[in-house]
Amino acid sequence: MNAWKKHLGIVLPLLTVTALALWPVVTDNPANRESVFTILKAVALASSLNILLGYTGYVSFGHIVFYGFGGYVGIYLLTEKGWSLGEALLAGGVASGLLALLLGSAILRLRGAYFALATIGVNEAMRAFINNFELFGGPTGITLKFSVYKEYGGAAQALQTAFYIGAGLALLALILSYMVRSSKFGLGLLAIRENEDAAEVMGVVTPRAKTWAYVLSAIIPGMVGVLFFFKNGNVEPHDAFPLHSSIELLVMVMLGGQGTVFGPILGAFAYQGMRGYLVTSPVFKDIQLSVSGVLLLVIVLFIPAGAIGWLRHRIPPLRRLLA
Amino acid sequence: MKRSSTILTIVLILGLLLAGCGGNPPTEKPPEPAAPTQVESSVPAQEQPTTPPQPKEVTVVIGFTSSLTGAQEVSSKRQVNGLNLWMQQVNDAGGIKLSDGTVVKFKAVTYDDESNKERVQELYTRLITEDKADFLISPYSSGLTAAASIIAEQNGKIMITAGAAEDDAYKTGNTSLFQLYTPGSQYLLSTVDMLKTLDPSAKIAIVHENDKFSTAVVEGLKPYLAEQGFEVVLEEGYASDTTDFGPIINKIVDSGATVLLGGGHYPDGSTFARQLYERKAGLKFISLLVAPADSKFPELGEAALGIATSSQWELSATHTPEEAAALGKEFYGPTGQEFAVAYETMTGDKPTYHVAGGYTAGLILQKAIEEADSVDPEEVRTALEAMDIFTFWGGVKFDISTEAHGLQVGHDMVVAQWQKNEVGELKRLVIWPADVATIQPLYPIPSP
Repeated sequence: MNAWKKHLGIVLPLLTVTALALWPVVTDNPANRESVFTILKAVALASSLNILLGYTGYVSFGHIVFYGFGGYVGIYLLTEKGWSLGEALLAGGVASGLLALLLGSAILRLRGAYFALATIGVNEAMRAFINNFELFGGPTGITLKFSVYKEYGGAAQALQTAFYIGAGLALLALILSYMVRSSKFGLGLLAIRENEDAAEVMGVVTPRAKTWAYVLSAIIPGMVGVLFFFKNGNVEPHDAFPLHSSIELLVMVMLGGQGTVFGPILGAFAYQGMRGYLVTSPVFKDIQLSVSGVLLLVIVLFIPAGAIGWLRHRIPPLRRLLA
Repeated sequence: MKRSSTILTIVLILGLLLAGCGGNPPTEKPPEPAAPTQVESSVPAQEQPTTPPQPKEVTVVIGFTSSLTGAQEVSSKRQVNGLNLWMQQVNDAGGIKLSDGTVVKFKAVTYDDESNKERVQELYTRLITEDKADFLISPYSSGLTAAASIIAEQNGKIMITAGAAEDDAYKTGNTSLFQLYTPGSQYLLSTVDMLKTLDPSAKIAIVHENDKFSTAVVEGLKPYLAEQGFEVVLEEGYASDTTDFGPIINKIVDSGATVLLGGGHYPDGSTFARQLYERKAGLKFISLLVAPADSKFPELGEAALGIATSSQWELSATHTPEEAAALGKEFYGPTGQEFAVAYETMTGDKPTYHVAGGYTAGLILQKAIEEADSVDPEEVRTALEAMDIFTFWGGVKFDISTEAHGLQVGHDMVVAQWQKNEVGELKRLVIWPADVATIQPLYPIPSP
């Protein structure tokens, strides 16, 4: 019973995402399935970014690089080497983790604005590299043959399978996020966020902790990339490394509450819902990113801890529930 | 102050939750704000209780997304204009009459995809399941079409593509796509044929946008240039958002190239042409993709003079019933002049090949329904597979092999060039093939 109470903070996020994932199944509506997939994808990516941004306090403007790189590696192995989707997903995650390990060793020595700028540079450099990397198809990218889907029961079944895997990845991202937050390692990350020098004095090996946080935040985006491009049937450089998506992820995390497990879910749900409205609204469709920017400004000014952070601060009994 | 900020924060949080619930997903029925743009035909109401019995009327829903914003905006909007003109004409003419007396009319349902692949599958699923689209038109671009084609295939919906030239999308094993455009790999072959007669010793620089379409065009071009004995002295790709072509132009000049082939889309192509003029690159011939085919291109002024493009269709060299008769093929639909007059009346603008493509996408669907004498998707698919006709657009015939199902094999490109007429106005005129050319090529193009 005590163990149950101790981990109450993961219950609400898991129930929320499970309910979201079951919605298209209950309604048996493919349009709902596609809409929910977009939200689940955002939940998985935002929760992963939260490990670095929320717990460690490092702002990454180029986190989408792991999504693109992992996606490319997985789709290449799937189409050219005949790997199964499961193997390709794992390979995409591992590839992104390794990339984060290499990059983290170098750029996590930077702090603040310098780190943020470096992450933008990494994303753009990777896009330029892939654009000229013939093995991955250069500018034309990689297109999947329809025969790939036959192994999964045809295109219709493959999309359904992709949805369930997407839900699984979103849940995995939440569990990983929660495990990090409730661990001693996570405590070290929170100490880094509050004061890196003080954390070091207190015994946190900050370079190693930051690098592992970076690696953990990169694995699931790599897997999500494989899944998304498998579902879409092709991958091209400009789709794989969209810088604006990194900014949208930041908005989602800050909107819901950085450093909390439930915050990125709320942020992803609210932002994708709002975006769905904005892009079809005759008034806002041309300025939807500007609206996102204004929203970010308002959050930073009035609720820097995000919606969940504010609720936790104002209503202490909710702290156990809203981890 | 503290109290007011608390109230503001509560309002913000409630707003977030409402935003999440009030947008697109997840709903069993589409919410009102996300309602699509419905281009209703000018069809009289079907159910008038007082009117006498009329033939059964069927409204066929055509679903598509278009890029109302983003890099493809200009071309995509023109394509949609063409499709809307066709729909208006066929509905105003009373629709298609089938042998059993059924009258078929059309209605379009469309969303803005913002050229964003993330949304294409979501929107096409919505078009099929919520909006009950019977037939689909592709998004504008090969990448978006590849994503949409999976949804079309899984739902057995026919998708006519009018802006997805790149070949790969048709070699995935799908059976739902039917391509209207000449495939990307053949875009510049007519231009090479022309150069062979004009200047067989020309030195070629290939400079192109580093994107899916332009690279596919270049991949088709290179072996053909080698086959025709041309020397390629430079091959260079540039990023889609390039605005400073200075270093690339220096490379072109240093390479000793006399002819430039390449480009990409409208924004980069028009900038490239302007800077080539300003930097006095001294090339004898320049052919760029897409941008010079647009009616906005002469806004560049003197920089547009002499710039050529491969065009899917030109009014001055529109295909005719006589041409079809000579080939022993049926000519279907209006003549090019009739189409152009109707379009100018509707929009006040002259039609480009993107407009003609949008119009013809509807026209061949109309023809397939007539041939099938039904709106049943399988019967229409069979009619499309058997299609071998001529329209003002040119030949329309599809590859029906399993390797490249739906790839266009009946349509040829023309080469057009911006030249000045007697009164000094810039006009885009057809210079190749010789049998349809309206003027001699301007070769070499005059130095600035």
